[in-house]
Amino acid sequence: MTRRELLGLFAGAALGPAAQPPAAPVAIARVAGYDSGLEEAVARLFDQLGGLGRLVKGKTVTIKLNLTGSPALRFEGRPLGTTHYVHPRVVGAVVRAMGQAGARRIRLVESCWATGGPMEEFLLDSGWPVRALASAAPGVEFENTNNRGKFGRYVRFKVARGAWIYPAYDLNAAYEQTDVFVSLAKLKNHETCGVTLSLKNCFGITPASIYGDDAGRDEPNENPTKGRADVFHFGKRPPSRSAPQELDPSSSRDPGYRVPRITAELVSARPVDLAIIDGIQTVTGGEGPWIRGLKFVEPGLLIAGLNPVCTDAVAMAVMGYDPQAGRGAPPFRRCDNTLKLAESLGVGTTDLRRIEVRGLTIEQARFPFPT
Amino acid sequence: MLLALLVAAASAWVPARWSSTDPRSLELLANTPVNCLLLERVSRDFVAAASDRQIAVLRVVRPGEDPGAIVKEATEAGVAGLVLEGAFAEEVAQQFRDAARQANWTVVELPPRARLRLNTDAPIVGTYEGLWPGIRALEGDAARAAPTGGPWVETNTGFLRYVRAVTDAAVWIANKPPSGSVLPVQRYLNAIADAALAGARWVVALDPDFDRRLHGRDAKALDAWTRIAAHLKFYEDHAEWRRWRPAGRLALIQDESSGALLSGGILDMIAVKHAPVRPLPRTRLTAAALKDARLVVNVDPSSLGEAEKEALRSFTRSGGTLLSGPPGWKFPPPQEGRITLEETDLERLNEIWREVNSLVGRRNLGARLFNAAGMLSNLLASPDGKQILLHLANFTDYPAENITVHVAAACHAARLLAPGEPPRTLSPYPIEEGVAVEIERIATSAALLLDCKP
Repeated sequence: MTRRELLGLFAGAALGPAAQPPAAPVAIARVAGYDSGLEEAVARLFDQLGGLGRLVKGKTVTIKLNLTGSPALRFEGRPLGTTHYVHPRVVGAVVRAMGQAGARRIRLVESCWATGGPMEEFLLDSGWPVRALASAAPGVEFENTNNRGKFGRYVRFKVARGAWIYPAYDLNAAYEQTDVFVSLAKLKNHETCGVTLSLKNCFGITPASIYGDDAGRDEPNENPTKGRADVFHFGKRPPSRSAPQELDPSSSRDPGYRVPRITAELVSARPVDLAIIDGIQTVTGGEGPWIRGLKFVEPGLLIAGLNPVCTDAVAMAVMGYDPQAGRGAPPFRRCDNTLKLAESLGVGTTDLRRIEVRGLTIEQARFPFPT
Repeated sequence: MLLALLVAAASAWVPARWSSTDPRSLELLANTPVNCLLLERVSRDFVAAASDRQIAVLRVVRPGEDPGAIVKEATEAGVAGLVLEGAFAEEVAQQFRDAARQANWTVVELPPRARLRLNTDAPIVGTYEGLWPGIRALEGDAARAAPTGGPWVETNTGFLRYVRAVTDAAVWIANKPPSGSVLPVQRYLNAIADAALAGARWVVALDPDFDRRLHGRDAKALDAWTRIAAHLKFYEDHAEWRRWRPAGRLALIQDESSGALLSGGILDMIAVKHAPVRPLPRTRLTAAALKDARLVVNVDPSSLGEAEKEALRSFTRSGGTLLSGPPGWKFPPPQEGRITLEETDLERLNEIWREVNSLVGRRNLGARLFNAAGMLSNLLASPDGKQILLHLANFTDYPAENITVHVAAACHAARLLAPGEPPRTLSPYPIEEGVAVEIERIATSAALLLDCKP
């Protein structure tokens, strides 16, 4: 049986009506800043989750970073990692910890905004210390998954039973050629989805070569230069015909309906093994500087868990939100709740009563975001 | 002999507009490289005091002023020259030139760009028309903005680089701060760097509020003035850089009839992308001029003569890539009062730009910069080819940090020079196309100097 078939089996194993979505512990740590105490906090978090070794030893680990939008856009001139990107020092600390835990290969991935060029160059454009990251552990690699990249091919990931928008997604093979998949996200709001956490981070695993505004009509455009709004947010055009098409083209074109569902489908199709959320410094009010009303804040928190829905549920509670809120309630003013949608696909539970929180309690960590 | 000396001195003038005729105001110029003042009115006492400080005083003349009265005033005051600022009728301008010749004055003509006199033996060529350099603010509703692109820098560098490519004269750009504005000092440093990047000089001009505070010896204004002086000094301390040649492997063939006198055109578009580009005036287009080029953009193919077409054919036969402007498209002729492109021209230019952008892609045409949004750069090489210089100017309101430069050359040493700061030694490390250098921080302006194999 191939890895792809295995993944397909997993994805197809949607819950029956009586089964409960899985729950997993979530750990919260307080970290004053990016300059000191970070590595200790990361190590403590992973210890509280049962240790990294059992997850990554001898394995290929793929870490999806949250690098939203063009690196040329800054909020108040601040370094990207202190506002809407994950911070490179968090990435460095995680990579080092995984290296020390015996990971064989650590692949940093992102579908880099509007480019099919090397991820290393995108990171340099973001002001990241690429050489330092590359040497933070043995076997560190970089892959821009905005096209077929170094693997030279796409792999089809099927959504569990109950998909709304697409039955499957074609992704860069990096998402298949891995033993462990990590979503390393930022604690922040999102204009379309209410929150950007470890689930919404996975929206960015899709290649703009297929799902971008300038994707090829029939085949992928391996030199994408745009985002994915026309295909995903508004459904104005289909993805390249080489990829699975929409289940129901007459369904709602409302981004608040589509983007949360697409995100939930992606997490169902490409399960997340470890979710990490950088909430040390961030912004409230939106996902990037192109959103009006952003505010820089310093919650001083790192959150991690073995289930992305559980991790995001705890993160939402820390932000002062109800993770089970419906459309119309904050932060889901104009959108459906991605967590609940993922829960309905059997990815994980949003029920805080079923989630064990380690390290800080939710109350101790509470940092209210705007309602 | 005297005239020759005067000419030599004029080309080294570091100019500033000056509002005061009080000789005591000259104390503000101590420890600055400013050695040439442009005044609307002149007096003998002031000129004499300035002369004692080796400062040249020029009387600014505007169209409509009485030539006889001006010449009389200037003669009595003993000025070093006249500045003809504005669109003068040719016969009036000639009257002033004749008078200046008799009086051994230097005449600096600052006409509109469209009337720029590039084919003269004047020591200084300039214009009063320029964009006020800086980042263009986001337009419209920010919530509608996409997570795309980078900031656009309003700049005169494209225009100035073209003028520098056409003439050996010193080049001045004498635009004033936007009227009614009170500007932070950073904006003045940007104006200085924007011109200096292209080897030109900005004629220092302060907004009325700053000017009033400076002459009133306000502490904050004096502090800002010190920073302005440090930036001027930085570029004057390295005046030899003006003789260095553009080192980009992308050449842009353009002339006055194809938009070279405008700002916001293809040269500026390429500059914002940090692709090292050298303007190549059509009249200087030869096979030899294309020797180091890998990519050539010919904005207006219809303007080329047979010899120039042959130079391009030779270039493409030897493996070079040529990109030509849309057939049948002509730039509108230069117009007085217009220094940027019309919307319709911009749309056509965008067609070329998209192709240039696609062709440049990730190619290293001399240097590639990373994390340099909101900055401008210019790549130069020393006459002996042993040194490479990358001018860097930061137009954002915050220090630029963690910039990486990939240089397509075999360089073994690197230093970062910046106004008012000691040189910083950097460590180049090998990469596929040459060397990479990491720059920790640039406040406003800097120059990366590399020692390389020629």
